Parts: sequence; structure tokens; C-alpha cells
Amino acid sequence: MIQFTEEAKRRYQTILSHYPEKRAALLPVLTLAQREFGWISQEVAEYIGGLMCYPPSDVLSVATFYTMLHKKPAGKYHIDICKNVSCWLMGVNPCVDEIKRQLGVERRDVTADGKFSWDTTECLGSCGTAPAMQIGDRYYENLTPKSVAEIIENLRNE
Amino acid sequence: MPALPGMTKILLANIDKPDQASITKYRERGGYKALEKALAMEQTALIDEVKASGLRGRGGAGFPTGMKWSFVPRNTNKPTYLLCNADESEPGTFKDRILMERDPHILIEGMAIACYALNCHLSYIYIRGEYEFVANTQQKALDEAYEAKILGPSVMGKDFALDIFVHLGQGAYICGEETSLIESLEGNRGYPRIKPPFPATHGFLASPTVVNNVETLAALPWIVQNGAAAYAAIGTEKSKGTKLFSVSGHVAKPGVYEVDLGYPLLDFINNEAGGVANGRKLKAVIPGGSSVPVMTAAECEGVLLDYESLLKAGSMLGSGGMIVLDETTSMPETLSVIADFYAHESCGQCTPCREGTGWAAKILKNIIAGEGKPSDVDLLLKIADMMEGKTICPLADADVMPIRSFVTKFRSEFEALCKS
Amino acid sequence: MPKFTLNGQEIEAKAGQTIIQAAEDHGVEIPHYCYHPDLPIDGNCRMCLVDVEKMPKLTPACTTLVNEGMVVRSENERVKQAVRGVLEFLLINHPVDCPVCDQAGECRLQDYYMVYGLHTSEISLGMKVRKRKVIDLGPMVVLDQERCVLCSRCIRFFDHVTETGEMQFFGRGDHVAIGTFQDRPLDNPYSGNVVDICPVGALTSRDFRFKCRVWFLHATDSICGGCSTGCAVRIDHRDGAIFRMIPRRNPEVNRSWLCDEGRLSFHELNKTERISRPLMKGRDGVQAPVTWEEAVRSIDARLKEIRAANGAGSILGFASPSATNEGLFLFKRYVGDQLGATQFDFRVDSEDKNVLEEEDQILRHFDKHPNSIGAIKLGLMSKELGGIDGAIEAARAGQIKAGVVIYFPPLVRRPCDEEVEGRVFELIDVLEYSVVLAAHKSEWQTAASVVLPVTPWSEEEGTYTNFEGRVQFAGKAIDAGGDALAVWEAFAMLLHASGAESPWMSAEDVFATLTEHVPAYREVTLDKTRLPGVIVG
Repeated sequence: MIQFTEEAKRRYQTILSHYPEKRAALLPVLTLAQREFGWISQEVAEYIGGLMCYPPSDVLSVATFYTMLHKKPAGKYHIDICKNVSCWLMGVNPCVDEIKRQLGVERRDVTADGKFSWDTTECLGSCGTAPAMQIGDRYYENLTPKSVAEIIENLRNE
Repeated sequence: MPALPGMTKILLANIDKPDQASITKYRERGGYKALEKALAMEQTALIDEVKASGLRGRGGAGFPTGMKWSFVPRNTNKPTYLLCNADESEPGTFKDRILMERDPHILIEGMAIACYALNCHLSYIYIRGEYEFVANTQQKALDEAYEAKILGPSVMGKDFALDIFVHLGQGAYICGEETSLIESLEGNRGYPRIKPPFPATHGFLASPTVVNNVETLAALPWIVQNGAAAYAAIGTEKSKGTKLFSVSGHVAKPGVYEVDLGYPLLDFINNEAGGVANGRKLKAVIPGGSSVPVMTAAECEGVLLDYESLLKAGSMLGSGGMIVLDETTSMPETLSVIADFYAHESCGQCTPCREGTGWAAKILKNIIAGEGKPSDVDLLLKIADMMEGKTICPLADADVMPIRSFVTKFRSEFEALCKS
Repeated sequence: MPKFTLNGQEIEAKAGQTIIQAAEDHGVEIPHYCYHPDLPIDGNCRMCLVDVEKMPKLTPACTTLVNEGMVVRSENERVKQAVRGVLEFLLINHPVDCPVCDQAGECRLQDYYMVYGLHTSEISLGMKVRKRKVIDLGPMVVLDQERCVLCSRCIRFFDHVTETGEMQFFGRGDHVAIGTFQDRPLDNPYSGNVVDICPVGALTSRDFRFKCRVWFLHATDSICGGCSTGCAVRIDHRDGAIFRMIPRRNPEVNRSWLCDEGRLSFHELNKTERISRPLMKGRDGVQAPVTWEEAVRSIDARLKEIRAANGAGSILGFASPSATNEGLFLFKRYVGDQLGATQFDFRVDSEDKNVLEEEDQILRHFDKHPNSIGAIKLGLMSKELGGIDGAIEAARAGQIKAGVVIYFPPLVRRPCDEEVEGRVFELIDVLEYSVVLAAHKSEWQTAASVVLPVTPWSEEEGTYTNFEGRVQFAGKAIDAGGDALAVWEAFAMLLHASGAESPWMSAEDVFATLTEHVPAYREVTLDKTRLPGVIVG
């Protein structure tokens, strides 16, 4: 039975206090849940639904609208690489190929050691420093296949 | 109108100065004086000042800000909300990011001024989820502002309470549309709402709401400090003030630049952006984010960077997210990348956008893969016509603009790929 | 009351109406999917786009309020093109399921395609978005996600009517699909309604699945016989069999809804064998088939005998709150006026209390009979007897010797029904002489002196008076088999055999007489009992 840790529960209460109505806290709470549980599984949706008194269908419906909320398990380091106009113009495709080479998994699949998963994403707002990708709350910009390999290698060794 | 030498820096004045993000440095450089001045004014007088400045929404729609504020009824017993739209997701646009990353207090001051004018005591900055690191910086600045009693129960010692919270999105371009942003903030799927009613009367939690872009709000401190007339003296007759342009693609110096509205487009590309990179020739320009029609190099001649001039030239100022394409660019492939974006980001609520964006993207994929039929070129134009003007929000229209302009202006490239 | 022009014709709308509502009131159909008169407005399908002068873009008729002086066009070329475009968009990812889809024949994609579309598909089958099909959502509903046009009617129904929120959208863009959490079955008493409101074959009825093509069905307007709410229904039948029951819209009773129990209640009619002929106990005490003529002559003679010996007060008239007003009226006329009986009741349970007691906030009442108020208004409720228990006691004490009993078991079953039928058995057993009018065979009937086969709900036409005193007309859908007659016919025959006037040739005739003689129904004509019915005094 999954549950928020005490720390997460405190964070949950803080989030609720930011809004005049409980419902407005749902997306930040789902974000917190992803941080805690890794992805928004049906179990997580049911838990959040119970916590906030919404039908689990409702919670999952909201979650599946937003790209950053994972619908299946993700790696410890989930790579989102931009495939939009400026990144594409500046050569993101070879970088994507490098990711595939390095990780050996398809989009949204997790490597065997659970460390990595990847996906393409939309414009990250790094067009001037394209190509760019995001891992966790960090942007990696001005990418080349070489720098991509280095970044992955560093994370692999962490 | 020729470019003014030494253009005014309103938004990026201190962006490169050390520690600009700290409140101490911000104040040292004149920060929060405008807020002090605003708090001494009548709220309605403040709204008039913003109206007189000619400031227009900088997110993409260009709606006069003061007028938007004046639509909010002042005598309801419902709270008024100011929501800062920091969902910046328009491809090619990265200007709001710079402001929040490097000068977060300019936004806070702008928001506080706006909140005072609107009599709003609870405000949110809706930041796209990918900008989490930016949000952290913004939150730190908010904490400093609370500490300095610029936010809280008594703003700068006045009888005016104000709370500002950061609210992170989680990956949905559509949440940059104001009613979708409100829906998302309310904890729902980001489905845009039918208008009327408008957010001014029925917005967040059915209360009067104003949604303003980061750049719009960031202009307020300068306007209050220097006066509406000073702001209105910059720019053109209908496009007042300065605008941030984030330029990327095939240019030597991609980045964010602030210019007076009315500055010539080609001057901007050749001067500020350093010209087309690698000595290549200019082929096309998307002046204001992927949602505006693409312009051929020839069409850029004599066009100025303001709302009217670009509209007259058959495109739009939009978000100011400029993407420059050189002669090596395949226009069908570029359009396919753009079409994929709209198909991925369509919320799915209404029929024409949901089905049309997906269909157009698939047809383009086929064309790029060499499996397109000659009739596909006209089919793309037909889909565009079928989508245009029939949807709840402008996302479909934002797909129509590139489809129509790319296919019409570079038709031979498409036809070449479709030879069966 | 704003006046506006629609397609060149001046129309007066009601205050606060949208264009689509005002148009509907005046017989102009504007095509739509997501709009529904009993659900909140959504405006997402974009099918109802109309041309309003001075508005630069086409606007949805369902979201646009009528303003004085508006000029609206719903049939010009601009609108037709837009509608054709929306329809084409809806069809590009729609599976070509018509040959196996139950919705065929009543599908809005088919219907609108014939009027507004008639285009050739320009998408290859391989390009269509694929989704899941044949998802079991419980006993009432089957879901096919591919066929869904994402109008959100089902979602709005569960959000706003049942407030259970089971169905939602999942995903984004053209991969959005409706569904329940973990495909959990729908677990509320109104789930069947989403099948009605789904304009396409995405949500279909499990009960009706693959049973009959809708163009073979005949429709009869009726009233549900499941409880005292009296929801307006349409019985769809073919060759003497009922295939399904769907709601008719009555804004004053059930809006557009039916409960699941009521919807399936017609199945109850086929669960047990019918009594096909009148049965009469001979001297040997064994029931044997007789003709109607023989039966009614014998009954009348015997009851008159018992009256002569013990007084009119020894005859009990025990009605069924599931019989029509027409049947109950002639029942009272024979047993009461003609024979002079004074002891009447109809309560086998606490129908008089339950008739008003709501089982939930939406539609259902606890009283599972459609005509308890009808029985009360005809004077069939005795204070002294206090229901069947009192009748049984009086019979045991010898005060009541004979009884004429109409009994229809409820169409919506409850666990207590068996016990209730036990009491009916007891009553029949205790009575020295009993005439039972029933449709279905049951063990307790073997104790009766005479059994007369009568038609239950849906096999006779007549009126029912619901919990709020609303009298509503229910049509006859199918024929009963065998020698069964309508209840009113049975008593018309008895009156005739008894030497009384018996001029009625139809239920309509009986109703006319009823309105003359029963004060509560004085102002009512049969016309007034059609939708939405009329509340009587």
C-alpha cells in the first residue's frame, strides 16, 4: 500500500495552503506524487484520489493530460530531448541517435539497470542554445553527440 | 521608421549585471521604487496610466493591457486574481525565461504593481513545468520579497496585502492559452473554455481574473517610474514601447534582444543576431514563434518589427520568437516538425483541432518519407481551411498559419517530394 | 422574450435560450453531438456552428444566447461547408464498424453523413488512430473507444447527474479515449442512460447487443411499470417480443433518464409461464380450464350467493397497484357498485407510505408499482383493513368470505417480494371463495376458486397515476398470448354477465367514463395524459 512519507505529507499540507480551494492543488500534488513514487501509476492515482476525495478516474484523467507526468515507470534519470524546430535545425537528430546508441532502449522504455529512460519532447525554451535536453530539473544545452555521450557517461557513474 | 540609435533598455537594462537576482542588488539599482510610487496612486489612476502607455500583451495576442485591466468589474464581492502567464512554450520563444532566471524581481515588482491596480490580493505565477530550475530562482526571489515585507500582509507598509505563489505546470503548451491556464490552475485538464464569459468577469474560481504575460508585467515598473508618455514615445503609433525578441536557428548570435518596436526586421537579423550563420543565404524567417506564417527572404524587405507592419506583410509579431532559416533548410521537413508539435499539443477537446492536427502531421510524415501523393499537397491546404476559425481556442489556427504559409510559399518543394 | 431571425423566418425565443434551443422549439434541427438538453453545455463537437450576422466567425448554436434582433443562418453554404468539414474530421479516425455496430440505423454519424457529408474518405485505413474495442463496463454497457466522437456526454452525465464521476477522458490530442478507471464496471443505478445519450456506437447496451437491427423494431410510447415515479418510456418491439425500453424525455418527471432496473424490467414478463386460459375449480376441487363466458357467469352467480347469505360486507375487493386506472375503475364498478362490496384495499406492503418515499435523489421510489396513487384516488384504500394483513385477519375471523383479487408481481424485484407473495397466498388460502386475476402462473393460485388470465403492463393500453398524481397514458406494445384479456375487459364482461350496463369497447371509452365519475379526474381528457401528463386533484 503506497503512502506519502511524513515529509511528503508535510509538503502536501503546505501545497494545500497555497490555494483557496483544494482542487487547485491537484496538479502540484500529482507532481509531488511523481517525485515520491516515480510515476503516476493507477495505484498512485487511487491513493491521491483517496487522499483528496476525488474519484481515481478523475485523478488519472488529469494526470494523463500532462506530458511530464509519466504514465509508465521511468528511469532514475529520464532524458527529455527537444525535437522541435530550432533544435532540429541545429542538429538534434544525431544527438537522439547517440542517446539510442548509449542506452539501447526505445523511447519511454527503461534500461535494464533502471538508471535511464528517454523521450523526445517539445520546445524547452533553449532555442538560442540548441540542441537541448532536460534531465530532472537540469537543462543541458548546445549539445553534440559527443557531449550527449559524456553527460550520459557521467550520470552512469554516479 | 528608421531604427533609433541607442534604443531604450526597459526590460534587459540590468540583465547582465552581477547578482541582479538578489533583492539587495535589485534595490541598489533602483528596484521597487516604482512599486512605492504606484502604491501612492489611486488604483484607477494606475490603470489609466497603463492604458495611456499603450502597453500591449507580450505573450502573443498583443491585446492592450490597460484595456484588459479595465474590463474587470470593481464592485463585485468576489476576489480579483492576477495570473502571470509564464508557460512560455511557443517554439522559438525563450524570452520570459531570461527575465525570470536573471531578473526575477522585475517580475515581482511588475506583478505587485498590477495586483495593486486590480485590487488583487492573491496571485499566481503559472510556470511551465520544464522551467523548474527557473521557478526555483523565482521562488527564492519571492522569499526575499516576503522577507523585505514587499509581499505579505502589508506591502511596503501600506494597507494592502498580497500573496504571490509559484504554480508549476507539467507539460502542456495549451496551458499558455489564458482559459486553459485557468482550468489547469483550478486542477483540471487544460481544456480552454468557451468565451463568453471572459476571464475578466468569470476566470479563476468563477472570479474576475486577468492573465498577463511575464514580459508584459515586467514592463510595468519602468512605465510607472518614467510615466506613460515616456513609454508611448517609444515605438510606433500603434505599437508602443520595446519588445524582447528571442532569435534562434541559422544565425550567428542567437539569444534574447530588446529593441524598440518598429525596428526593421532585416536590421535585427543582420545586426543584433549577427546575420545568417556560416555565410549562407537567408531563405525564410518565422518572425514570432511557430504559430505565425513563415516569411520568405524577399517578403522580409522593408518589414518592421511591430504588430501592424508584420500583419500587413502577411505574418504576425506573435511572441517574438524568431526562427531564421537558411538556404539549406528543407521546408517540408521543417513543416513536418512543426505539425508534429501541434498534433502532440492539441488538447483534444474539439473536433477540428483534435483530428485535423493529427491528420496533417501524418500526411507530412508520409510526404517526408517519400510516400506522399501529389493530391496530398492540396489536401494539407484543405485541412487547414477546415480547421481555421472553427475551434474553441486558436491552437488550430496556430497550426493553420504554418501549414498554409509553408505549402503556399514553398509549394515546389512539397510537390517534388510527392512525385509518385 | 427575444425575437430573432432564423433562416429568414422571425422567431420568438424564450428568455435565456440558446440558438439551438430556440431553433428546436420551432422545428429547425441544428445538427449536434455534444449538446443535450439535460446536461451542461460543452460546445466541443463544433457541429452546431451557425452564421450569426456581425460575428466574424461561425459560432456554436449551443453556446450562443439569443439576442433581440439577431440574424442567424444555419443552412447557408458557409455553414454547410463547416459542418461537412467537422463531419469529415469525425469520420477520419472512425472505424468502419457499421456492419457490426448496434448503433446502425440510429447513428448520428450515419444520419448526418447522408444529409451533410456524402464525401469520399481521403484518409487511408492505415492512418486511422486505433483504440481499444469491446470493453466490458459491467452488466449494462459495452465500450468501444474507437467509435467514440469524444462529445463528453457520458462524462457529463456521470459528473453532473449521478455525481459518480466514473467515466473520464484519458490522454491528450487525437489519442484521447474515454473509459473508466482500470476498466472498472460502472456501478451506479443509472449507467444505462449513457447508451441512450451516446450519439454513436461507442457505448452500447449489453442487454440489447446484437439482438435486433433497430429498423426492424416498432416503437410504442408508454410509461415504465417499475415504480411509482412513472418515467416516460418507449417500448421497442418486434413480432410480439419486447427488445428494449428507452426513456422518452419528460422534463417534468424523468427528464431524459431511466433507472437501470426500470429499463430492464420488461424481462420480468418473460421469466415465468403465463396463464393462458381461465381456470375454475370444479366440484372435485381441481382447477380446470373454462371459457370466459362460463367463468364470468359462474363468478357472478357465486358472489351474489355469498352476498345474499352474508351481506355485501363479506366480499373483499383486493386490487393491484400495478393495474391501470381503467382496469381498477371497472373493478370498483363491478365489485363495489354492482355487488355492493365495501371492503377494498391494494396494499401488500406499505405502498401508501412508500409511494412518496424516494429511493434516491434522481428518479427511483421505493414503491415498485406504477399506480398506487391511481388506486387511492379510486377509493381502493381501506382505513379499517390497513392492507393485506388486515384483510387476512378479517378473512380468518370470518368477516370476509369472498374476494376478487388482482395481483401483478412487481417488475422490479426486491428480496422482500417472496415474503409478500406469501401473504397473497395466505389470503387466497383463507378465503372461502376467491377470484384471482393474474398474468403469470404461480403456486399460490392453485388455492383460488377461479383464475382469470389478464394482461400485464405493456400488453394493454391504459393510464397510470404516478407518485405526484400525474396521470399518464401507456400504450399497448405487444399482444398477450392465450385467452388473456385486459383487466378492464374482464370486469366489463363481469358487469355484463351481472346484468349491468357495459358499453365500453376500448380502454379509451373506460377512461372517458372514469373522468365523468371520479372527481379528481374531472377536467382530464385522454389527450392530456400524453407527454408530459397532467397532475390531477
